[in-house]
Amino acid sequence: MTHSCPVVIVGGGPAGTAAAAQLGKLGITSKIIEEASKIGGVIYRGPLRNTHSLPHLDDNLKRAMAALQTRYYANRRHIELLENTRVLGPEGTHSLLLNKGETLSNIEYQELILATGCHERSVPFEGWQLPGVMLMGGVQLQIKSGLVQPGRKMALVGTGPLLPLVACQLHRSGIDVVGVYEASQFSKLAKEAVALLNEPKLTLSGLSMMGYLKKHTIPFYYGWGIVSAQGENALKSITVAPYNEHWQADTQNAQTLEVDALGVGYGFVARSQLAMLMGLDHQYSTVSGSIPTLDQWQHSSVNNVYVAGDSSGVLGADAAICEGQIAAIRIAQNRGVLTGKEAAQHAGKVMRKLERLKRFRSGFDRFSERQVGLMELAKPETVVCRCEKTTRAQVDIALAQGVKDITSLKMRTRLGMGDCQGKTCASYAIDRLYQSGCTDNIGAIKPRFPLDPIPFTFLEEQ
Amino acid sequence: MKKFDIVIAGGGVIGAACAYFLSRDTQLKVALIDIKKPGNASRASAGGLWAIGESVGLGCGVIFFKTLSKLQSESKGKDIPVMRPHQLPDCFFEFALASNAMYPALHKELFEQHGVDFKFERTGLKFIMYNQDDRIYAEQITRGIPHLADQIRWLDAQQLKEEEPYITDDAIGAIDFICDHQVNPYRLVDAYLEGARQNGVDLVLNSEVNKVLRKDDRVTGVTTQEETYYCDTLINAAGAWADTLFNKATGLNMPVYPVKGQIVLSERLPKVLNGCVSTSDCYIAQKDNGEILIGSSTEEKGFDTTNSLDKITELSQGALKCLPILKDSNIKRCWAGLRPGTPDELPILGHVPGIKGYINACGHFRTGIVTSAITGKLITELVTGQETSLDLTPFSVTRFFTQE
Repeated sequence: MTHSCPVVIVGGGPAGTAAAAQLGKLGITSKIIEEASKIGGVIYRGPLRNTHSLPHLDDNLKRAMAALQTRYYANRRHIELLENTRVLGPEGTHSLLLNKGETLSNIEYQELILATGCHERSVPFEGWQLPGVMLMGGVQLQIKSGLVQPGRKMALVGTGPLLPLVACQLHRSGIDVVGVYEASQFSKLAKEAVALLNEPKLTLSGLSMMGYLKKHTIPFYYGWGIVSAQGENALKSITVAPYNEHWQADTQNAQTLEVDALGVGYGFVARSQLAMLMGLDHQYSTVSGSIPTLDQWQHSSVNNVYVAGDSSGVLGADAAICEGQIAAIRIAQNRGVLTGKEAAQHAGKVMRKLERLKRFRSGFDRFSERQVGLMELAKPETVVCRCEKTTRAQVDIALAQGVKDITSLKMRTRLGMGDCQGKTCASYAIDRLYQSGCTDNIGAIKPRFPLDPIPFTFLEEQ
Repeated sequence: MKKFDIVIAGGGVIGAACAYFLSRDTQLKVALIDIKKPGNASRASAGGLWAIGESVGLGCGVIFFKTLSKLQSESKGKDIPVMRPHQLPDCFFEFALASNAMYPALHKELFEQHGVDFKFERTGLKFIMYNQDDRIYAEQITRGIPHLADQIRWLDAQQLKEEEPYITDDAIGAIDFICDHQVNPYRLVDAYLEGARQNGVDLVLNSEVNKVLRKDDRVTGVTTQEETYYCDTLINAAGAWADTLFNKATGLNMPVYPVKGQIVLSERLPKVLNGCVSTSDCYIAQKDNGEILIGSSTEEKGFDTTNSLDKITELSQGALKCLPILKDSNIKRCWAGLRPGTPDELPILGHVPGIKGYINACGHFRTGIVTSAITGKLITELVTGQETSLDLTPFSVTRFFTQE
């Protein structure tokens, strides 16, 4: 193998940027393919227009954003950034098809790092499609990159550490946050104290956020969650209720709140469409959906293809940085830039940090493990696949007729056949299959080429 | 351990049709075993019921024959026109037309009695002519099938414009095969399966046949990872994977092999096509939900199901030429299916001499959707010892064994 070819990295978020920076540090050039106009990913990209002041963001976040930029600029001469560029899919065995503006092009690679991040886990409930109902990643993009207020009066429902974080950011942005509803009980969180102590700094920062909410009298309820959202053309109000340990709503004690926007955060799933389309072996994870099978160096089942960051399992930005570095170190070793011993030394510290982060994260994953009540929110007529308008009742019938895998469910109901290729509905459908007792060979909604639509005119005869 | 009269291996359109007809017309205890593999041709199919179109080399075969004719022309000199009709033998016409005639009643029956709708649409299949070469080609096609003259309409440019206003002004006319229609292919598979399930067939989904059990010259059952299924008759409806199962059952091999076809699908559009269309570049069908389906390449690449930009570009350019309104649309997705190809393009049906308890229902190449109904019927007749409504001799696997 010749080693002149730059390493190709798909995704310029924390994992991709850290991988490029680590490679650069070792004198190896790389190309980052990034769909946005700047690096950082949803979490650290920052405003898409110039501004010097971000008063609504906390210092920890601003420090982390700056740190990623520093890593990037320190190694900038080894990194080529292909911004505003999307990967449409593999083309042949060592090449990807790219789209930028109105042009298609190919990029060849010898080593590839997929760092495509995650996307939102949608939970269908009555009214979930109303304008004003948003998922938590989208809310974050609006306040962090768009610098717009998602609403004037908001509530947040969901589970996990993102709830208090986003609540603080929204409040600092001048939004009236009327309540934050965490589905799990506080007692469940207390049980995870040992796990959370793996990252005392993160735990402390979580506590300080809870302190902030308290100081500003933003109510935070454990063991509460969404029942439905109401409104004609836009969100007018939501109904929330206490949840039992299975997250089943006690509708007798439900409350209705007037809000114009709602943030919904029941987790994220790995964005593994490209990896699946490339034929990497995958396995199912309750937390992250379909994730590629990797060795401890982030290497996949396909030779010279690595996966790092949330696209290999949702662990957050700090872990993503570690994983990007580990993949980069392994590539350097394979290229003969580092000896096996040096690679082990370089990677050892990072791997230990990653283990700590995983232990910390597993505490929250147990705390936030989705419960059956979440699947009972959709009414029979509630649309669960919004591209194809498939309702919950249609899914119920198909399951009653003996459908046992996602492909058959798709064939029978058209769920997952729409433009989004199942990104929105697949999580719900898979949960339903598991719930109905299917555990083997459920499969995944197989992504199809192209990952984004291609205008026919791009292929016209020149 | 479970015991059945019939085990069907394969739940694509052929296996599903066999299950439905057996369960409808007999009291036999039937199980169907299916695993979804990438490339499953029934799911990948366009859903054309192009009985005449496919028999004369249009539709799904058009790119294949164009390539073939081109190669022949190049070897024989320039006097021969590039496109020449490629007509399948009479036995295939009979087979395809008999099957095609069954769909209107079948659609009604599955809808009324089992509540499933496979979206049968009377569309016709138009061969669009752009120039004199195309006209000569169309004339040759019609001359080759004089007995089907009443099924062919000639349209001049103006008539075509009236019937299909979105087709390019460059078209000089068309011939329309009026008995060729379309269905939604995966709905058809699903309709057969749901009908079969309601009739009492055991659907063993998500399971793969690992072993075929034999006692002397008799097939006695199959095993999956979870279970053993004993049976009196095993039906091989394993599509592009049929040879592997045949080998497990008989120790012999037969020439069924995957022939890859790539498909391009547009976003949903308002109704822009009243009928299905074939040009000499591709076929185009607007499906029941408004998407425009464009097919299809013909490639022998083993079990590879990846898409490639060169084929997608060819198909897209062919479709843009015919249907300029696609310029305002996007390619939503592409895929590739594996047709179960055979060297003479005929299916492989029926018993195998020397092996008891085994029946082939495979090798349907490009035409599994349109010929599934008659296959289900014929296999049911065969299993119950009736005289088959069509002679199965031309479809016997033994046609490949004679050279020895």
